[in-house]
Amino acid sequence: MARVSVWLPVLVLLGLTVAAVAGLYGLSALLTQRAAVCAPMPFAGGLTPREHAFSRFHVRWYPVTMIFLAFDMEMLFMYPWVRVVRQMGPPAVIEMFLFLGILFAAVAYAWREGALRWT
Amino acid sequence: MDLIGVLRRVVARRPPVLLVAMPGATRERLAVEAELTRRGWPSAASPAAAAGLVVAGLPGGERPRWLEGLWHGMPRPKAHVAVDHAGDASHALGVLSGLLATGREGEAPWAVSTGSPREARGAGRQDRGGGQGAHRRQETGGRDERGGRGERGGREGHGSTNGRDGRSEWGGRGSHSGHHGRDGRDGLDSAHGRDGHGGHGEAGGQGGHREGVTAGLPMAGRADDRDGLRLDRLHLPLGPALADWPAGLVLDVALQGDVLQSAEEHPGEAAPAGRYPYWSEPWLRAAGGEAVTRGAAERRRCASHLDSVGRFLAVSGWPRPAARARGLRDRLLHGAAAGDVAPEVLRLTRGVARSRTLRWLTRGLGELPAGRAGELGVTGPALTAGGDVHARLCVWLREIECSVHRMDDARAVADAGGPRGRLDGGLPPSRALLDALLPLLPGAEFACARLVLASFDPDPDEFAGAGHA
Amino acid sequence: MPEAAPLWAALVLPAALCLGAVAAAGFDAVVGGGAGRSGSGVLGTASAPLREGLRLLAQQRRTTPSADVALGRVGLGLVPVAAVLAAAVVPWGFVSVTDPAVGIVWFNAMEVLAWAAVWLAGWGPNSVLSLIGGYRFLAQGLAYELPHMFALTTAGLGAESLRVSDVVGAQQGLWFAVWMPAAFAVYLLSAAAMSYWGPFGYPLGGDAAGGAVAEYSGVDRLLLLGGRWLLLVATAAFSVPLFLGGGQGPLLPGWAWTLLKTAAVLAVLIAARRMLPVLRADRYMEFAWMVLVPLTLLQALFVAVVVLNR
Repeated sequence: MARVSVWLPVLVLLGLTVAAVAGLYGLSALLTQRAAVCAPMPFAGGLTPREHAFSRFHVRWYPVTMIFLAFDMEMLFMYPWVRVVRQMGPPAVIEMFLFLGILFAAVAYAWREGALRWT
Repeated sequence: MDLIGVLRRVVARRPPVLLVAMPGATRERLAVEAELTRRGWPSAASPAAAAGLVVAGLPGGERPRWLEGLWHGMPRPKAHVAVDHAGDASHALGVLSGLLATGREGEAPWAVSTGSPREARGAGRQDRGGGQGAHRRQETGGRDERGGRGERGGREGHGSTNGRDGRSEWGGRGSHSGHHGRDGRDGLDSAHGRDGHGGHGEAGGQGGHREGVTAGLPMAGRADDRDGLRLDRLHLPLGPALADWPAGLVLDVALQGDVLQSAEEHPGEAAPAGRYPYWSEPWLRAAGGEAVTRGAAERRRCASHLDSVGRFLAVSGWPRPAARARGLRDRLLHGAAAGDVAPEVLRLTRGVARSRTLRWLTRGLGELPAGRAGELGVTGPALTAGGDVHARLCVWLREIECSVHRMDDARAVADAGGPRGRLDGGLPPSRALLDALLPLLPGAEFACARLVLASFDPDPDEFAGAGHA
Repeated sequence: MPEAAPLWAALVLPAALCLGAVAAAGFDAVVGGGAGRSGSGVLGTASAPLREGLRLLAQQRRTTPSADVALGRVGLGLVPVAAVLAAAVVPWGFVSVTDPAVGIVWFNAMEVLAWAAVWLAGWGPNSVLSLIGGYRFLAQGLAYELPHMFALTTAGLGAESLRVSDVVGAQQGLWFAVWMPAAFAVYLLSAAAMSYWGPFGYPLGGDAAGGAVAEYSGVDRLLLLGGRWLLLVATAAFSVPLFLGGGQGPLLPGWAWTLLKTAAVLAVLIAARRMLPVLRADRYMEFAWMVLVPLTLLQALFVAVVVLNR
């Protein structure tokens, strides 16, 4: 029961917000008197683009994303850890920060190798 | 209750304006910018954001076709006006507001009066542009002859998509019946869009990659990037209607993601002859034998640099000092006394020069050593700076501080050192600047490339060769 | 101390958030120096965002050829949804719409939705400039997200709980902002960053003609631009229970203190925004990883040691 009462308001909120967004679209349709949607070529500074824009993006996103994911996944452990620090005592803190320190050493290495260099 | 009418008047009070300056129309652009500031109207960076399109340009109805593309891209309610003389700016914006309030959109297409010579010239330009000109048929006052579209589509690669817009906006609504699917919206995604356009793209001069054509446009091709990886590559004509961009300049760039692979100047419209470029006018007049005081020239230099600084700050995303720089520029050009403006100018220049964040953000971008600049024929601030984007900004700031104290000098102008460089050399200074900056762009990220360009701020008005004194 | 709010509070929250967004945007317009120009008073300037919203509602919408309409639309809709759902765990005074045991994680998860939202919105229109804008937000997210998560964790660590009401309760006497200043500062930075606003407006940069929003008009544009204010208000409001003692304070009732503190945080952000140019991700990336991450780690270590010794 407790679970329901905690997440029920969230469901209500979700429904409400989605309905509000839909309502905005409806209101807009009314106010624009359902005018046809304006359908130009994409704006690229005035002249018409010569190719579709959908494309695979530059590679430098991927190394950073990998580093981020590695760090991010590990740091999720910190959420449960937060609740047990005092029960577990100093070993919990030492282990966690050793772990983070190793991770950060890896980041520092990646940085030195230029993985965070953007241009 | 007339709710729509009320909303229309709300829009008309302060419409966001997309300001497009034609080459050679610096004076008109400045007048419109000053008027926009005075009225507190926001400026729009793209057609989607705009309710009003203001074209600062030269009289005579000579307006290029891509303007019509911009106009199509603007959502209703919208209106457009042209400002052909600096003095008309206030009136024109009043008209714009009135048009928005009443729901009319402005006089019919710009290019109303046209003869065949222009048609021919336009066609030549479009072929180079790879097909931005599908609006050509609107030339004749919006009543497009659709009959000719068949063969034309072949040359223009993606005439179909533009044809659709053209119809809905200019050619009268709902008149699209009776034409092959390719011309219409349905044609975009239909099966024969693919085979129907595959061949056209070939003729469109893209060269190299023909992997797939959808809706009349090819997909991105691939090419080696700077690290030797094979990545998607897009070709894009940048300009001329980007905000804070040199009027009339078009750069053909190849982008991989947001990194520029190459950048070349795209032959665009030149500033009309017979008019001095606004920013170097005093020096050119003096060289032509007219009496110009140094004070007047320094005032122009100061305003020119403030314009460049304002543009640079706007590109770097710092709207407040950008607006202050432009406000000071307008006051200088309206003849404000040096003593009144100087303290504020100094506060601005010192504030910008002191900003550590700005230095951190711009350090190391677009490095142009003085030696290299000299070889390329660069004179003026970019040569003095002999360094990166931030160094060039600082030279502008220093020259502003010097100029603002020399605005009462009544002696005659003796040299030819305009705001962008020496005007007595063989090459117009802005031409040298563009030649110097283009090689700096490949490898730069989009935002950095914009900063590099803004830090040189070449003035296409000078390209016409009026620089020869 | 935690009180369960009646279900109707869920109806009030979105409205309150919208009101806050309109007020914050109006304040921003006034601070921006729009007042006094061409005869419009402070009130006229403060209502400018509202008029702009109305204008967008009545404006025609746009689509570009071969646009990915579905993804773009999902992205646009996600912005307000993320803001409202994140705000669900913000206590007003001592009452919140919902107070799950993992409130901090919930907030984190919801605001990360904005990350997807802006990228999708930038991808949608098949336009180079908006695609650049979308990717810029990815880059920005890669930079701000990790320090932000450490800041959140640090507050949770101080309270030894992930329940927001426990975090508020742990600040009786001493606000976390006082003894976790680095975490608080980093939180404020990322609050601006995740609402792609002010110096973090890089994804919507004017140099790319508006970036992710370059091709949107009408109600689409309203969602993306209005949604950023919702996000900003939601994140600013969440800094109050995390670092500023929630509804605690003398004399006034709890909800009033929450309101006051939220307004103060927003005012600081709005005032500070004008002092900086846009922070490009290429520079901020290095700064975030090499300065902010170690800084927040040290902050967390400090807090962990304090927690062990109490």
